[in-house]
Amino acid sequence: MLDKNENKKTVPLSKRFGFLRNQITYLILVILVVSIVATILNPNFLTTRNFFNVTQQISVLGILTMCMALLMISGGLDISIGTMAGLVGMVFTRMVLSGYSITLSVLAVVALSTFLGFINGVIIAKSKVTPLIITLGMMYVFYGIALIVSEGRPHSLGGSFEFLGRAKIGPIPFTIIVYLLIFAFAYLLRRYSKYGRRLNAIGGNVQAAFLSGINVDMHIISIYALSGMIVGLAGLVLASRLGMVRADSGTGYELQALAACIIGGITFEGGRGSLVGAFLGVLLLGIMYNAMNIIGVSSYMQTIFLGAIIVIATVISNIGRMRR
Amino acid sequence: MKNNDQNGAKILEVKDLCKDFPGVRALSNFSFDLYKGEVHCLIGENGAGKSTFIKILSGFFKPTSGSIFFDEEKYSLLTPYLARKIGIQTVYQEDILVPQISAAENIFLGSEKDGQRLFIDYGKMADRAKALADKLGIDIDVGENYERLSPPDQQFVKILKALALEPKVLILDEPTQAFNIKDIGLITDMVKRISAEGVSVIYIAHNLDEIIEVAGRVTVLRDGKKVNTHDSRGKPLNSGDLAKEMVGRPVNLFYRKKQHAVGDYIFEIKGLKLKPDSRAVDFRVKEGEILGLAGLKGAGRTEIARAIFGAHSKHEGDVFYRGQKITPDNPIKAVKSGIALLTENNKVDGLFMGMPVDHNITIVGLDNIGKLFIDLRKEKKLALDYIERLNIKTPSLDQEVRFLSGGNQQKVVIAKWLFKGVDILIVDEPTHGIDVNAKVEVYELFTELASSGKSIIMISSEMPELISISDRVIVIRNFEISRTLQGDEITEENILSGFMGADKSVR
Repeated sequence: MLDKNENKKTVPLSKRFGFLRNQITYLILVILVVSIVATILNPNFLTTRNFFNVTQQISVLGILTMCMALLMISGGLDISIGTMAGLVGMVFTRMVLSGYSITLSVLAVVALSTFLGFINGVIIAKSKVTPLIITLGMMYVFYGIALIVSEGRPHSLGGSFEFLGRAKIGPIPFTIIVYLLIFAFAYLLRRYSKYGRRLNAIGGNVQAAFLSGINVDMHIISIYALSGMIVGLAGLVLASRLGMVRADSGTGYELQALAACIIGGITFEGGRGSLVGAFLGVLLLGIMYNAMNIIGVSSYMQTIFLGAIIVIATVISNIGRMRR
Repeated sequence: MKNNDQNGAKILEVKDLCKDFPGVRALSNFSFDLYKGEVHCLIGENGAGKSTFIKILSGFFKPTSGSIFFDEEKYSLLTPYLARKIGIQTVYQEDILVPQISAAENIFLGSEKDGQRLFIDYGKMADRAKALADKLGIDIDVGENYERLSPPDQQFVKILKALALEPKVLILDEPTQAFNIKDIGLITDMVKRISAEGVSVIYIAHNLDEIIEVAGRVTVLRDGKKVNTHDSRGKPLNSGDLAKEMVGRPVNLFYRKKQHAVGDYIFEIKGLKLKPDSRAVDFRVKEGEILGLAGLKGAGRTEIARAIFGAHSKHEGDVFYRGQKITPDNPIKAVKSGIALLTENNKVDGLFMGMPVDHNITIVGLDNIGKLFIDLRKEKKLALDYIERLNIKTPSLDQEVRFLSGGNQQKVVIAKWLFKGVDILIVDEPTHGIDVNAKVEVYELFTELASSGKSIIMISSEMPELISISDRVIVIRNFEISRTLQGDEITEENILSGFMGADKSVR
């Protein structure tokens, strides 16, 4: 009798859950609609060249979004990743310009960003203060350091490090391959590793995770450090792509990454959300920007659209919870 | 209907009420009536339709069909505003009050009358709150912040808040859920006073003794349908009959445990002191034994259990397992040593509500299904074994656990620890808030686990549970052991005397 009851009860609920899972379907749909509209308005949108253009433009954002997504699923957040990437780019450029070898500079800045992420993680895990506040502060700290390192001026790499950001393998830009590798890594981590599963549990219910014998602090610190390491890579791609680095080169990426995650269905509550969703969120943002550029929408209007997309996406992903 | 001889007038009558949700009829041709000044109890298992019914009455659900007569006025549906306006007030289980402000402010929040225009006269407000409490014979400090009140007092504040709006019908949804036996009496007394004032009460609870104590009439619901309505003035209410009607088959309120052999002492607590000035707690547990841990809420049972598990700070004391000192100072070590803690409130600290059933089951024992990466196929297969073994009702492994019923959620928590393969289970109020059927299943499971050699330390406030499941019972009072009972000594009187500290022989 209980059995029957149970089954009956869960029908509408599982339907509701199905809707959330469909966020990915609906994202793909929106991406298709935007693409079709853009193509009708300007056939140049639908060319291989433009496609690679879009994907190259989103690669830095994409890599940073993977950091943000992993952190949000673990119940965390890091809005210092934008300025951290800028700092990495700046330190790298200045090292190269001071005559250090590329290899040494790469290793040094990746170690640096890993360490910065580690610091974030330690403060957040030990102080139990909400990550938003801690990383907001750190965002300014990193920006300030970048300003000092830059001595307030932009610095040009002078074409000495174009490989990561501008090279192509056949027609495919190398940055896309880097982005896809990072995505694959994050996806595997989340879906198949015990580490990823435990992070998910911490994001879902930190108290239950603690009482389940999961080493919560270790996991939080290490995921911030890992995220820092990936930010280092993003900073290198950024520097290589721009060629000319400024202290604020990375500023703004953190909020776009956050937006991409939210559009992709990852919530602040943690414990759920899909990296595929975040991936599509990045793609949607990139396509929207590109389409608006091609159609000739002013950059001011573009900003308004970006904001509107975030609001609409969040509301849509919340509909399941509103109908109760 | 057959109660036409009742002397009061009907305040509420509901005829052929139906409520459909996609794929399920939550309420089916339900008829119900309520007289002025009557206490009418609703009982039924989780999912029987009680909540659906009261949500229709309070205007949160729109009925699919049927009619509602309130004070001789016909309504086809109610809105929350309308329900309140015509005099229906509902006190839900969930906390909806503001923790940081005083009881008095909470009581009148949203209905402030004093010094209406801009400012509130707090003095007058406190006086009115006090007067309201006094009228119902409740002694609470209305000036205290809500969050600092004890659970019973918080419940009183919620009820007083509903009464402040002078309702004609008061609906109480499991008002005693977080209570121990002593405090349940406070609520039932209060409800009797309220009904004596002429307010009609619809009362929902799982505890049948409490129902019998307070009810004028009792309506039993099962699968969205009315089974029967009993009138206490006819044949006296009988908990056996009520339970039988609820589940549709006879149940034993006292579970009869199968006896099995108990092994040697394997788990020992030595000199445990949570505070420097409390007396040391020492006890031992045998292999395959179920040790009951009785005590009133706040006596320190939960804290002692958590301290053993390393999740609560302690002053001193050690834990030994099979002669080895393990004394975990955090849950990580406790779990490694094979100890499990099943907490009282799964939603808060036992389950990952947004994660699917299989991920919840395997989270502690991930080492069983892979070194670095998880073998997802093996995970599904093993999780399915546990779902079958524990009879967990879920449409699929991918279902998020928050959609399961309380009883099934509890079984998922048990499965989580069994999957890890623990030897000592510390369980805190294992049947809290789950229905009769699920309770029996949990008891059967515990007995089975014990006979397979696992030791269970069971904290419980439910006498039948303690008496019928435990091999021994330790009574905790004020963070100390006040009595140890075994065999025939395990009686309600002896446990109660332990609560009060009446037994001198152990001193």
